[in-house]
Amino acid sequence: MIELREVSKSYTLKGVTKTIFDGFSYRFPRDRNVAIVGPNGMGKSTLMRLIAGSEMPDAGQIIRSGRTSWPLGFAGGFNGSMTGLENIRFVSRVYGQDTETIIDYVQAFSELGKSLDLPIRTYSNGMKARLAFGLSMAIDFDCYLIDEITAVGDEAFRRKSQAVFEDKLGHSQIIMISHSGATLKSYCDCGLLLAPDGVFFFDDVEDMLRDYHQRFGSNDKA
Amino acid sequence: MIVQAAFNLAALQLRILGAMILRETRATFGSSQIGYLWAIITPAASVAVLVTIFSLIGRQPPFGSSLALFFATGILTLEFYVKLSATLMNSFDANRALLTYPLIRETDALFARLVLISFTYLLIMLIFFSALIALGLAGVPHRPEIVLQAFIATAALGFGLGTINAVILSFWEAWHHVDKVINRPLLFISGVFYVPSLLPPEAVAVLEWNPILHLVEWFRVGYYPNYHSPILQADYPAALALVTCTIGLGAERLFRKQRASR
Repeated sequence: MIELREVSKSYTLKGVTKTIFDGFSYRFPRDRNVAIVGPNGMGKSTLMRLIAGSEMPDAGQIIRSGRTSWPLGFAGGFNGSMTGLENIRFVSRVYGQDTETIIDYVQAFSELGKSLDLPIRTYSNGMKARLAFGLSMAIDFDCYLIDEITAVGDEAFRRKSQAVFEDKLGHSQIIMISHSGATLKSYCDCGLLLAPDGVFFFDDVEDMLRDYHQRFGSNDKA
Repeated sequence: MIVQAAFNLAALQLRILGAMILRETRATFGSSQIGYLWAIITPAASVAVLVTIFSLIGRQPPFGSSLALFFATGILTLEFYVKLSATLMNSFDANRALLTYPLIRETDALFARLVLISFTYLLIMLIFFSALIALGLAGVPHRPEIVLQAFIATAALGFGLGTINAVILSFWEAWHHVDKVINRPLLFISGVFYVPSLLPPEAVAVLEWNPILHLVEWFRVGYYPNYHSPILQADYPAALALVTCTIGLGAERLFRKQRASR
């Protein structure tokens, strides 16, 4: 279960303060997969980091039970001078997993082959994303936080990701940010719309996307 | 229930610390075993060079019969402190990427570096003093427990000041240079080359404010059977270590959010 109570968060950069959340309360439904949409700068990724706990709110509480993943995005907490394998080992140790099991899984899943022995800084963004995605799938989380990472790799890899993902859906929850309506529709069954005048919950992803397009008249494909 | 929770938290903390230490080792010394060897060779070599130079110009040891032992007791303590405080200072910047993983806090990187560097210097000292003993240049430490106390106090002071440095650096980048200016004269004012108690009282009155000097003296009092140090007040560096650790960790906690949003 994930619940935000009276959460406030703002950033001050060069004297300009931007408030992202001000006393925001919300309890995520327990067994549903939640899509998060909104125009850029509305705080989608901030919300993700707050849920994960990689960022602290200025005020308020975030209550989380069960294992929540780190926010799966492109950047990832990889150390560029360490090899792929060393990074995998580090993350498995931190999450208390058996290192060899995780390595086997990521090797099979990511199809990075010998590249895993090379430093991360030699990786392309696509390779990094494959590694990050494979690594998080290797660890059993109760809730996966996905920040725009599903659209990675070629068609075959995407199909594979989807298969693993659907397998996970049986016992894990997903909270997902994506600009692709199709992706959101295939994984999520309800959604949060972050708009300038507030945060809105929709019981149905289709309804939410319709509202989103009406409000922002966006070119994003649904 | 609470005991179980506390136990789980302790296990988590240990796991993260272990993972961080391995990661830091890899980042600091490279992937080869030679990398770690260098960390031991460098300080050993710098002491060896000093000893050779002074032996060549025919200088008598300021105390005891071994120039090498006298310098080693001073410079290894000093280097341990300098290395620790400098490495901790850069800790936040070097580990920014890790904040992606919610389980890891910036303090974990500080503790990991403390453990790694303390262990490295413990090893350096063991090897260096064993070599001196084997070469007949030194005796065994007279009171090893006092030497160990001095070592722990040095680690604590290095941790405290290093943490304070790290917090200051996160708000003011130029602190790098200021710290360098402050640390530069330490080699000369910490009693590495001389017995501080034998200096004129005017000099002693100034130098006794330097906590590193007390740490060096503390180490020597433990190592030599007959090293008398009227200047030594072990309470001073010990209390300072406690105060700086408290301020450092307190400041880290207090400014954590401001740092994160920078």
